Amino acid sequence: MPALLIIVPLLAILALNLPWMRLMNRLALWVGLILCLIQAFLVILHPDFFWQAPSLWLGHLLLFAPTVDYLSLVMFLAIAIVGAVALMVCRYSVPSITDPAETRTCANNRFLVINLVILALTGMNGVVLANDLFSLYVFLEITAVASYILIAVEKGADAFEGAFKYLILSAVATALILAAIALLMLTAGSLSFTHVRLAMSASPHSHVVLAAVAMLVVGLFIKGGLIPFHGWLPDAYSAAPAAVSVLLAGIVTKTTGVYTLFRIVISIIGFNASLQTLLLFIGAASMLIGALAALGQSDFKRMLAYSSISQVGYMILGLGTGTILGIAGSIFHLFNHAIFKSLLFVNAAAVEQQAGTRNMDRLGGLAEKMPVTGSTSAIGFLSTAGIPPLAGFWSKLIIIVALWQAGHIVYAVLAILASLLTLAYFLSMQRRVFFGKLAAGFESLKEANAWILIPACVLALITIGLGVGIPWLFETFLLPIRSLL
Amino acid sequence: MSIRFLFEPIALPVVAGVLALLFRREQGKACAWFCTAVTAFHLAITMYLFGKEASLTLPWGAFGFEFSLKLYQFSGFILLAAAGFGFLISLYSTASMDGRRFLNQYYAYFLLTLGLVNGAVLADNLIVMLFFWEGLLLTLFGMIIIGQPAAFSAAGGSAPGGKTAVKAFIISGVADLCMMVGIGMTIYIAGTMTMSQIHLPVGAWSSVAFIFMMIGAIAKAGAMPFHSWIPDAAVDAPLPFMALVPAALEKLLGIYLLARISLDLFVLNIHSWLSPLLMVIGCITILLAVMMALIQRDYKRLLSFHAISQVGYMILGIGTAVPVGIVGGLFHMINHAMYKSCLFLSGGAVEKQAGTTDLAKLGGLRAQMPVTFICFVVAAASISGVPPFNGFFSKELVYDGALEAGHTWHVGWTFYAAALLGSFLTAASFLKLGHAAYLGKPAADHSKVREAPPAMLIPMIIIAALCVVFGVWNALPLNHLIQPILGESRLEGHTFAGWPTSLTLVLLTVIVLIGALLNHLWGAKRAGSGLGAADHIHNAPVLHPLYDKAERRLFDPYEIGLKIAHFIARIAWGIDRGIDYLYDTVAVNVTYALTAGIRKAHTGSLFAYLSWSLVGLIVIIALIMGGI
Repeated sequence: MPALLIIVPLLAILALNLPWMRLMNRLALWVGLILCLIQAFLVILHPDFFWQAPSLWLGHLLLFAPTVDYLSLVMFLAIAIVGAVALMVCRYSVPSITDPAETRTCANNRFLVINLVILALTGMNGVVLANDLFSLYVFLEITAVASYILIAVEKGADAFEGAFKYLILSAVATALILAAIALLMLTAGSLSFTHVRLAMSASPHSHVVLAAVAMLVVGLFIKGGLIPFHGWLPDAYSAAPAAVSVLLAGIVTKTTGVYTLFRIVISIIGFNASLQTLLLFIGAASMLIGALAALGQSDFKRMLAYSSISQVGYMILGLGTGTILGIAGSIFHLFNHAIFKSLLFVNAAAVEQQAGTRNMDRLGGLAEKMPVTGSTSAIGFLSTAGIPPLAGFWSKLIIIVALWQAGHIVYAVLAILASLLTLAYFLSMQRRVFFGKLAAGFESLKEANAWILIPACVLALITIGLGVGIPWLFETFLLPIRSLL
Repeated sequence: MSIRFLFEPIALPVVAGVLALLFRREQGKACAWFCTAVTAFHLAITMYLFGKEASLTLPWGAFGFEFSLKLYQFSGFILLAAAGFGFLISLYSTASMDGRRFLNQYYAYFLLTLGLVNGAVLADNLIVMLFFWEGLLLTLFGMIIIGQPAAFSAAGGSAPGGKTAVKAFIISGVADLCMMVGIGMTIYIAGTMTMSQIHLPVGAWSSVAFIFMMIGAIAKAGAMPFHSWIPDAAVDAPLPFMALVPAALEKLLGIYLLARISLDLFVLNIHSWLSPLLMVIGCITILLAVMMALIQRDYKRLLSFHAISQVGYMILGIGTAVPVGIVGGLFHMINHAMYKSCLFLSGGAVEKQAGTTDLAKLGGLRAQMPVTFICFVVAAASISGVPPFNGFFSKELVYDGALEAGHTWHVGWTFYAAALLGSFLTAASFLKLGHAAYLGKPAADHSKVREAPPAMLIPMIIIAALCVVFGVWNALPLNHLIQPILGESRLEGHTFAGWPTSLTLVLLTVIVLIGALLNHLWGAKRAGSGLGAADHIHNAPVLHPLYDKAERRLFDPYEIGLKIAHFIARIAWGIDRGIDYLYDTVAVNVTYALTAGIRKAHTGSLFAYLSWSLVGLIVIIALIMGGI
């Protein structure tokens, strides 16, 4: 029955586009939120009848039999949380246009954005559920297409530039992935993960297979925005509307890039020395260069974008260890990143909306006027920088310990250094935006409304709760990841 | 006897001390009499306790510590002596401290000191002893700092009282730290904390432990090189404090511990190298301190150097590790406590009545303050070792011990010679002091000086009388107080009471004393005044530059330590700056250079980004296809 996670949102989108425009306009947000909440509760309560039972006839609409493991569950939860947050930010920042006539001409309206967000969520659920390469490819494209439109929805020059860069580089990635799939099809005769894996282990030195692996990996690196394939990412993140930034940074690139890479490396390729070297190197490069670049930014969202590159570097570094601990740490970090990076983008959205600018040189002292935003932002960045006892500290710690145990001491030291850089640029962000004297012109600034404060507070509580509850989390949530390998 | 009496010597002064703090500023007189009453009662109780034996053990805290006290001959004797001085000096303080500020604090520290000393003496557990011992640091600091009310002003620690208090605190603290290390080692080696169960033979590690504990003990007694706060405190601290703490209680406590570790805790004998070490420290302390005493021009400062010098005799005596030397050292301890506190009290009387202790401004006080003068003469004769006062007998015993121990080595007689030379200089400096203060021409503005009030005279008279009693009837203290400490097994039936056995040594002593008198007369005639009687030594060719440097405190271990500390601090500061530079400048600049480079590379050109991806693709394909 997990197939319902794809089918129900699809049906919901269809239903929302039935002709009763006025009603649907009002319902769309709640439909999206309810879908996300149901998905989150399904993961948290974990009812067997949903996850274990065989598919109903609806399930046969799919071409594959979905499988679920711990990694998928973590992703579902992250998708649900970030999706709900993105929808609430939509409610806050995207104007609602109720006149049906205008709805057709104006792309930037809440109803459209919400539909696309639900579509992207559907695509990501599909990516997580897929267990053959072709379905994976299809869902990647669904997510990507929804994202292109979402980035461009405001129609400004920046928006088009960001969307275009994403489109072009994603097209390259798509081409590489598709080519790799073709080559693997040629070798294995089937695209299900198990078959491909068997075929690959049968002829591990075949040039065709190796070329396919290389192209697949590079394609996913582009999707995940890793150095040096990251060119699209800062523009896309910073040009996108606030709600879309939350979605993109929090979950889209993490699902289409990082999760997919994890899945493919773990389920198909398996670890070997040169792949691990590659992952460690690319991970460390992303981590350091992303952090250094973030240090030089004065645009709030652009800094967060580079920070995302840096944090993805940590995840890839953890994967590169090839050990259970490293992978568990990476997955935990992926989840934490979804929480704290969404939180920071939510704060950025609030600042942009209330103050009218994202330029940190013109901001200052906003914590006085926006205390909730200011303090949740502090929690978010402290978690990112890995300050105990927040969740980010534990996931980074696990990754660093795993690196050390696996003998990659240099990488472990680099990870610690990058953590210092993270603290450096975020401290400068916090100081320039929220602390100090109130900048001129913001005397009548108001705190954002509940649609942004509620998600911010919830995300901050989650990041604190995960950090404080680490002993429980480690036993019930991280150690079972062992079953993946 | 009831166990709770064992608590009394500690609890009574401590509780009373805390209560003394409750007195208001204008109730100074009431506070003084309260303190005197408490010390009198305390003296009565210690008299009752003296000669009894009792012990008490209570569980205390974690880790198996035990709060154990033990009363026996030695601790009872120290307790009694401390209580006696406490009472007399408290009585003296009622008059001499009258009208000063911070009286409630003064009496509180006074009583607390007494209680802590009693605790340290009674303790039978090393940790318990350390607890009380360290507590004394607190009262020491407090007593010195209240001597100079300016120390409380806005200037804070820069006032002399504050500086001296800090100096005393640091010197004592360093020494106590050494003792703490020694105690730790002793406990580790012996496997127990109970003092009465420790009897360690002198081995490699146990001698190190002994030296550390010895440092704590002799520093408390004021031996070199832990002495240098005493002359400063003599000027800055309230005078009764000098009579009570450095002159009496600290000597009692320090020498008590030195005797305990030399006799009980470690089995010290003449053939181990620790014994000559102690003797050398003793001789150096005697000579250097008395040399300094000789040139002082202030009544109290001169006395304070003798307080250091005389410790040398005690250390020398105990260091000999032969019964006669140990008996001599301990006898000298109690004698010194008496005559030195009497001398300080006389100094206090002079200060109170004449308003100064600068010898250049004093003179001819004999006629105006006859009782004080007589007490001074008795005490000065005692300290100089003039027969038949008490100092003479204890010094003779120490000489005997030094010679007996010295037989073991070729140059063993030098210890005796050094002690004798010390005696010569002591006598010379007291002749100078007495001549300058009491004899000679009366100073012009001192015509209205009167004799001190009875509350100050009575303690002096009692102590001076005891000096005579302990000398003439020396069998009384020796047979009842000192010799039982060693026990019959060590004494082997000897008794050291009565006239010294060796007539030669007595003759030598007398010759030396006469020499000192002649030297004084010659020097006084040469300089034209009593004050200048030692100038010919002060100005001697080799000594003069050394004296100059000593007066400028170039030899003060505290000042040297401060210089070393400043030097280290400067180096540490430089290292710190360097590290700061590394972090604040180098690291930041490197980071920003990298950041600038990365920013420059991100032009926003899609072509550039695509090229990077292409290069990345090629490299990765090459790696994977070549590598696997």
